[in-house]
Amino acid sequence: MKVVHSWLGEYLGKNLPEVSKLEDLMNFHTFEVEGTEKVEGEMVTDLDVLPNRASDCLCHRGIAREIATLLDVDLERDPLAEPISLQSTKEIEVKIEDKTACPRFTASIVTDIKVDESPEWLKKKLKALGQRPINNIVDATNYVMYAIGQPLHAYDADLFPKVDGKWQFGVRFAKEGEKVSLLAEGGKDEDRLVTLKGTELLIVDNSTNTPIGLAGVKGGKFAGVHPGTKNIIIEAAHFHPTITRKTARGLGIVIDASKRFENEPSRELTMFAQRDIIKLITDIAGGTYEGTVDEYLIKKPASRAEVKFDNVNCLLGLSLPNDEIISYVKRTGALIIESNDDSFTAESPFERTDLNIEADYIEEVGRIHGLLNIDSIVPEKREVKILNSRHYYSDLVRDKLIDLGYSEVITSSFQKKGNLQLKNALASDKSYLRDSLNKNINAVLDANYSHVDLLGMTAVKVFEIGTVFANSDNGVSEKTVIAIGVRTKGNGYNPKDDSELTEALEVLKETLGTSLNWELEKGVAELDLSETIAVLPVPTQYTKIEERSPIQYQTISQFPAIARDIALWVNEGEEAEKVVETLVKTAGEMCVKNTLFDTFTKDGRTSYAFRLAFQSNNRTLTDAEINEIMDCLYKQSAELGWEVR
Amino acid sequence: MYKQIGHKHPISRMISEINSIFSEIGYTFAEGPEAELEHYNFDLLNVPKDHPSRDMQDTFWFKDKDVTDPTVLRTHTSPVQARYMENNKPPIRIIVPGKVFRNEATDATHEAQFYQLEGLCVDKDINLGHLKGVLEYFFSKFFSGRTEVRFRPSFFPFVEPGVEVDMKLLDGDSKLAGKWIEVMGAGMVHPNVLRGSGIDPNEYSGFAFGMGIDRLGVMKYGVEDIRDYYNGDLRFVNQF
Repeated sequence: MKVVHSWLGEYLGKNLPEVSKLEDLMNFHTFEVEGTEKVEGEMVTDLDVLPNRASDCLCHRGIAREIATLLDVDLERDPLAEPISLQSTKEIEVKIEDKTACPRFTASIVTDIKVDESPEWLKKKLKALGQRPINNIVDATNYVMYAIGQPLHAYDADLFPKVDGKWQFGVRFAKEGEKVSLLAEGGKDEDRLVTLKGTELLIVDNSTNTPIGLAGVKGGKFAGVHPGTKNIIIEAAHFHPTITRKTARGLGIVIDASKRFENEPSRELTMFAQRDIIKLITDIAGGTYEGTVDEYLIKKPASRAEVKFDNVNCLLGLSLPNDEIISYVKRTGALIIESNDDSFTAESPFERTDLNIEADYIEEVGRIHGLLNIDSIVPEKREVKILNSRHYYSDLVRDKLIDLGYSEVITSSFQKKGNLQLKNALASDKSYLRDSLNKNINAVLDANYSHVDLLGMTAVKVFEIGTVFANSDNGVSEKTVIAIGVRTKGNGYNPKDDSELTEALEVLKETLGTSLNWELEKGVAELDLSETIAVLPVPTQYTKIEERSPIQYQTISQFPAIARDIALWVNEGEEAEKVVETLVKTAGEMCVKNTLFDTFTKDGRTSYAFRLAFQSNNRTLTDAEINEIMDCLYKQSAELGWEVR
Repeated sequence: MYKQIGHKHPISRMISEINSIFSEIGYTFAEGPEAELEHYNFDLLNVPKDHPSRDMQDTFWFKDKDVTDPTVLRTHTSPVQARYMENNKPPIRIIVPGKVFRNEATDATHEAQFYQLEGLCVDKDINLGHLKGVLEYFFSKFFSGRTEVRFRPSFFPFVEPGVEVDMKLLDGDSKLAGKWIEVMGAGMVHPNVLRGSGIDPNEYSGFAFGMGIDRLGVMKYGVEDIRDYYNGDLRFVNQF
């Protein structure tokens, strides 16, 4: 929700805070501030209004009221506290089919207006909010919505007939397959014809039963305001939040009006909105106000809640005196109906449809008082009585496999093909859930072989422990599986992979002390870990985690690595670490990995074979420059008395 | 002779560390299914059908033909709160590290699948101060340095009051030190959630929190793109 500071100032007057103060108040007491910027010469702050306050705070008056609450001041001008005096009219008749779906419907007639551009002040305000001004009538309805939160809609009164001297409004559900032509959406020129399912609520011209709008979502093309419009009817109604939401989401027309309706603004707002729109339209478009009809079928009684003082302090971890708690509640505009030493009963202000239960008021006290005032309570040491077997045994297996040179991966739960398809996938190649880890492990083996030298590996060895899914009689079933894979050669599966793998499987069998039912398929073995763990003894203590020095992730270079081997005879007793340290220092920063892959000693000399991997972060290295580096290493080795083999 | 060393995935590494830290203060490692019933993922957590609060999480749904009751890929680890409370009497202290799913476009800070850490404590007289204390204890251990936590108001349907949690490492030379960082959502368990899971909110209160483990890794290790956790590239994994 974007708010224009000067607009807030119309309600707050001298109490309008500076930008930074306003941001702090919001951030620490109400809503997160997305940012403040200057638009059309106005300071505009974007606030992240969450669903609990979307009923009263998706408008400037709501935010101004909130700021007043936090500052403990009154609004200098509160449109919702000013009286309404509107005359009634007999020229409009409203028939509401379902009063739960539409508990209140109001409509006003203004004749002899002139559709024109809006005055500059109005255009400026709308532009500051990122809205495109359209004409004075449409702009006025939007202005009132952004001011007090009630959506409005204007119709051209001459485009639908009067019967017995009355315009005939109806509110009813659509029929299945019924079509309605909607006004063009913002930014588009084409009107839109939609076919309805029957769950949508319609505003109709009852004389002909023609839809003139989708209630709370979009006006119909029929009876839309156009440049030649002279007489208008303005609707301000209350529609059921869920019905409006379903219609808007179902048709993909989520607009400012529907967003407000689906958050259940107060039913009381409609007549305040009529008062304000009539004044504004007669001011900027001329014309004569003729009267308003108000069909108010279901009033929502003011909501009351009993709040125990103890519960407030108990939940917040504070020790506020009773009168301070009461003062915070009063600052929201709530009335204290009664109070005693233990509790009080509060009645919410009508526009705060979110204040209904004790916890709602406790939250208000906490945030108005300030959540920064809560002191932490240090947790006590306690023993865990029940250990998680899956975690315990998974970690045991991980540690063993890591010791055997296997690295752990976590891969996507989605795949391109399978048996279990999602209703709403992210992409066509991610629309099924995996029923095995085999495919993913094979893909990981293939993708990583080219990195063996860079990573100092003799073979790609990986494993994953993860969830796989399947269809079952009782819906979707899932289990934890482990898959282990080996790739010893670059051109895909090789029988040698299986012998490496078998060795690991033996170790795991020994570790877990039970026979394991692996499915072995071309270098990848998979096991139902849920089933395995179920028969293992319940663990009694978690393995202690070793302290490790901090790890700082380094960006992976996108350029290829080049590997070279160097084998040297050195005097027996010279340590490999010292030898390679010398080599790497000379090789320079391009040498990103060194691996000792062969050692043997003969006749008082030791042979070391190292694989060096070279890589740059910003370019592809050439063979020539690596040759140059290798020549330096050979030369240096000779100088040190190391014989290059 | 040469011995190839394997590496533990950073997510697993963090989960083990998280469990180790929380087990010291009596938190049980709980778990629940990744394919979760709508009932647990939303309804019992005070997120009604067709309510705007459902928009806060884009959801993957299973097809009607494959399930007996509406089922989703869990959008958070919070359903385990409800499952655990249904089956256990207070005092309850649990953590739930686990994979969750969101149907949203991916980029360096968003993935359709990621790991979340849930925490829940339900006992007599539990308040926001306990929540703050537990989080400061956890972050101080996890980031190896004194850590301060602060709350800002927020909204999650299953808690009230709901808070956004910021943390600050007080000392050290880490990039994180000395500044407030938004890390997670938390709050006091909503009375509807307690009641719905069979716990009397007049007798017990509790706090809950949820944070992204992926994001903890961004802070702890300097991971730049959370998609790297899940692409199986050993150039990534083998750094840990």
